[in-house]
Amino acid sequence: MSIASQLRYFIRSGIHRIGELEIHSDLYGYTYALCHWQDAELATEPALGGLDHYEGPAAARDLSTYGHDGEYRFAKGQVNLKRGWVMTLDDEDQLRQALDQFYPACLGLFVAQQRGDLDVQNLRDKLNRQTGMYRFARSISDDGAQELVRKVCGPAHQCAKKILWKIDDATPLADSEASRFNGIPGDLPENEAIPLLCREACNHFVAECRKRAKAEFEAKEKAAS
Amino acid sequence: MSIAPKPNSALLIVGHGSTENPDSSTPYFDHADEIRSRGLFAEVHCCFWKEEPSLREALYMIDADEVYVVPDFISEGYFTQDVIPRELGLDGPTTVVRGKTLHYCAPVGVHPSMTQLLLRRAKEVAPGVKPAEASLIITGHGTGLNQNSTKAIRDQVELIIAAGAGYASVTDAYMEETPFIAEWDKLTPTDQVIVVPFFISDGLHSYQDIPVLLGIESEVGAAASQREIFRQNPHHLRGKTLYYSSAIGTERLIADVILDQVSDFDKAHKSLVAN
Repeated sequence: MSIASQLRYFIRSGIHRIGELEIHSDLYGYTYALCHWQDAELATEPALGGLDHYEGPAAARDLSTYGHDGEYRFAKGQVNLKRGWVMTLDDEDQLRQALDQFYPACLGLFVAQQRGDLDVQNLRDKLNRQTGMYRFARSISDDGAQELVRKVCGPAHQCAKKILWKIDDATPLADSEASRFNGIPGDLPENEAIPLLCREACNHFVAECRKRAKAEFEAKEKAAS
Repeated sequence: MSIAPKPNSALLIVGHGSTENPDSSTPYFDHADEIRSRGLFAEVHCCFWKEEPSLREALYMIDADEVYVVPDFISEGYFTQDVIPRELGLDGPTTVVRGKTLHYCAPVGVHPSMTQLLLRRAKEVAPGVKPAEASLIITGHGTGLNQNSTKAIRDQVELIIAAGAGYASVTDAYMEETPFIAEWDKLTPTDQVIVVPFFISDGLHSYQDIPVLLGIESEVGAAASQREIFRQNPHHLRGKTLYYSSAIGTERLIADVILDQVSDFDKAHKSLVAN
């Protein structure tokens, strides 16, 4: 089954949310519509609640580039999506194209997970294949990495993804709000949303690992001198 | 060059991207939109080293069983020879990964058709300037990580000279290797100098770093899209007249170069390609 067909199936089975996006079906004759979930009710009012109306998926990139705070959203799992707009879409192909702009690959990752076909990469494997300036990130301690998860990941730190990876095969993530988060922002039952999945640590996390590894190294040097 | 439609194949455009500069990935999406609008492929996607979707996640987005991977990079180098093959799991021109057949094409910057795009950009940025009275510099990054990174630019300089475009001098220059772009005035024999950055996007390097090296700006400025006034040409600096263009990759016709690379892959590897 194609990814677009899977998406239709998900929606028919009651899913209506991915990340901060509400997915409307059959809204005033539009096959699908997307908006920020906090604008979901407003979008159902006449004239689409006065929200800025975009037809087709083309505006998805612009809408997802800057957050409501004006910050550049280089990590698409950030929970600062702009409000005040609605995007109407003709079919599953357009919907899929829009979702791949707002939350790149997240639909495909969920489909693969449902099929039991999702490869997860643990942190050590990710760090061990870094080259160039990020090679140094490999030397971070397990404790340092666990602390970074608490300080960098999860909705408290602007990321709405569900972490699937461990430190390594034998070392799961320590329990924390970040490691427990289910990838669904807002208070919604799990069978009504496509969770945002984190199958390997992102570039931002690797960059933080490098900084932490350097700090650990310098602390050791200082202690030895 | 025209390309036959590939209704059962996907095109995956690979870019660098940036965690700091929102303009960095714009050209890749523009090139993807342009190709998508032509209806040649079942799917057209982008993926990035520094942005989402990552190279590792890209295949999860794709339905098609055959995927053409085109690095929207300027040269053969560290990214095209080390990073992209490693991240996508490629071990040759064609590799089966997660049940999909991936064809790895050459990067856009090494295609001979780039020469005409560079000449066109040089003419656009300095209208009315006679080539015989001007020097043309093609500038890039340069890196100690891979010897090949500057080859595409050196090749283009030779192709431009061979094309008989008539410039008084044509030379290459780099941010981090000799000849240094910071010494542009010493590298050129004429009063009029045209600099074309051989980068894909108007990102950190071409729009923020190089203007400082050229002396146009005293410090690194804001991202291109955040400027109220676009930089004005010409600049009168160091006793010369300098014309500085936007990055060559922002040219919409790069979409054609991407298709050229797909077409060239098919010609070079007929036995590996489904029809």
